[in-house]
Amino acid sequence: MAYYVNRNIKMTWWERLYLPEIIKGMGITSRHFFVNLFGFVPFLLGAKKERPIMTVYYPEEQVQYPIAYRGRPVLAQNEDGQPACVACGLCEIACPAYCIHIEPSENSGKQNQYERWPDVFNIDYAICIFCGNCEEACPEEAIFMSDDCEISMLDRKQMLYTKEQLLTPVADLQKRIEFTRNMYAKWNY
Amino acid sequence: MWVDLAITFVKILFVLAITVGFFAPVLTWVERKQSAIMQDRIGANRADILGFTVLGLFHIIADALKMFTKEDFIPQGANKILHTISPIIAVVPALLTFAVVPFGGQYTLFGKEVNLVISDLDVGLLFVFAIASLATYGYVIAGWSSNNNWSLLGSMRTASQMISYEVTMGLTIVGVLMVYGSMKLTTIGAIQEDFFRWGLFLQPLGFVMFLAASIAENKRIPFDNPEAESEIVAGYFTEYSGLKFGMFFMAEFIEMVTIGAIMTILFFGAWHIPFLSTATLIGWFDFLGTTGSNLLVMLIQVGVFFAKVIFFIWLQMTIRWTLPRFRYDQIMKLGWKILLPLSLANILITGIVILVLN
Repeated sequence: MAYYVNRNIKMTWWERLYLPEIIKGMGITSRHFFVNLFGFVPFLLGAKKERPIMTVYYPEEQVQYPIAYRGRPVLAQNEDGQPACVACGLCEIACPAYCIHIEPSENSGKQNQYERWPDVFNIDYAICIFCGNCEEACPEEAIFMSDDCEISMLDRKQMLYTKEQLLTPVADLQKRIEFTRNMYAKWNY
Repeated sequence: MWVDLAITFVKILFVLAITVGFFAPVLTWVERKQSAIMQDRIGANRADILGFTVLGLFHIIADALKMFTKEDFIPQGANKILHTISPIIAVVPALLTFAVVPFGGQYTLFGKEVNLVISDLDVGLLFVFAIASLATYGYVIAGWSSNNNWSLLGSMRTASQMISYEVTMGLTIVGVLMVYGSMKLTTIGAIQEDFFRWGLFLQPLGFVMFLAASIAENKRIPFDNPEAESEIVAGYFTEYSGLKFGMFFMAEFIEMVTIGAIMTILFFGAWHIPFLSTATLIGWFDFLGTTGSNLLVMLIQVGVFFAKVIFFIWLQMTIRWTLPRFRYDQIMKLGWKILLPLSLANILITGIVILVLN
């Protein structure tokens, strides 16, 4: 026969009747049922995120991720179109998964030009673990974690993003830049 | 004679259309969607035709297509004939019970008395239970012929559970019989025209026990030990795929409808609206003529009947998604030690009350 576990539960006579407790439980589930039955309707009528329930129709509507969210890392692009990166290689070293590959290039003495910049800057998102160490290591505010997490591909080779794909205007990253300044100032390295 | 035959044919077609054609496929969708909504999820809504999803209703078509195109697999060492035949044995009784289930009263249409039941048997109630217990053979044979230990375990559990709960079911029916004095389902339905003679008020204990026993008969949670996924894979239909699996599924859903229909007739006032007798309704629509008013009342009462059936289906689904599964010994304990004495006591009390009132 079955093995009985002594759970030390003292039930009252009313609870041992079983039926009232079932009805109570069914009351809870049917309350959810009726609330949600009408709670899902506003989406179908076109309203977005003004519903009493949390669940979202994912591909059709998306939630705003919190600013601390670590999506795929991107390169900051200055207003003149150049990457803010100076190809120092600190992120390459900081990366625990070795997914960053940088080939630097430098100024040969011309004036009014950047001193150093990356010729090649590849991040392989198939390897990346989204730890954010590169962002933390960067002294030039050049690499940031974005809120984009939809990076699934049909081919593994497509997961290797080059410099041109990674570059994102600084204006789009302003919130995250402020956030990182705040955070890393507090941690006081 | 030919007219009678034609009327019977139309009734059979109607019943088949509403069970196999409407309830069985739609309930697969309802089950997914209702469980989702109860658990704050969204549920099936991805299948689309030309960009229209219609609340995921196209999943019915997708499911059907999947079942049709799947490989029809018979395991090595299985008894091929029995393995093929058992889903049919399981699904036919579920459909057959509808032969005696009245889904409306008696109406005069074009000068002809039309009784909305396919076959108005004098022993209708007994017929229902006799046929319903035949389905057990389908499940037991399915488990045994699959040459699989899980299947055999599942079918043994089916057999024991069905036998245990059939006793309670039969004894609960005795109470109903004593109250109404008839086995004819149409008569039982007709008596409940009076709101205070609904089975729910005359046999409240019988109603609860009948609900529990019939859910156990249908092998749905909380009594789904025969197909307990977490214990014995899928029980008796572990080795079934494609349309045969679909037939077991269909049998379950049709049985849900049958249970709903019988509960409605025995306990929930059949096709009657509370406090509104058929005569009153026909009186309201008298300006349409005899046939017109009768036709309208017929449509209303059939609608009411199926609304009640849908309510019972909703109730069964709510129970299924609220309660956890009983352990095997708990099921046996509930069946033999609680429900059986209770149903006997129910008969005794009913008898005493009837004796006192007379």
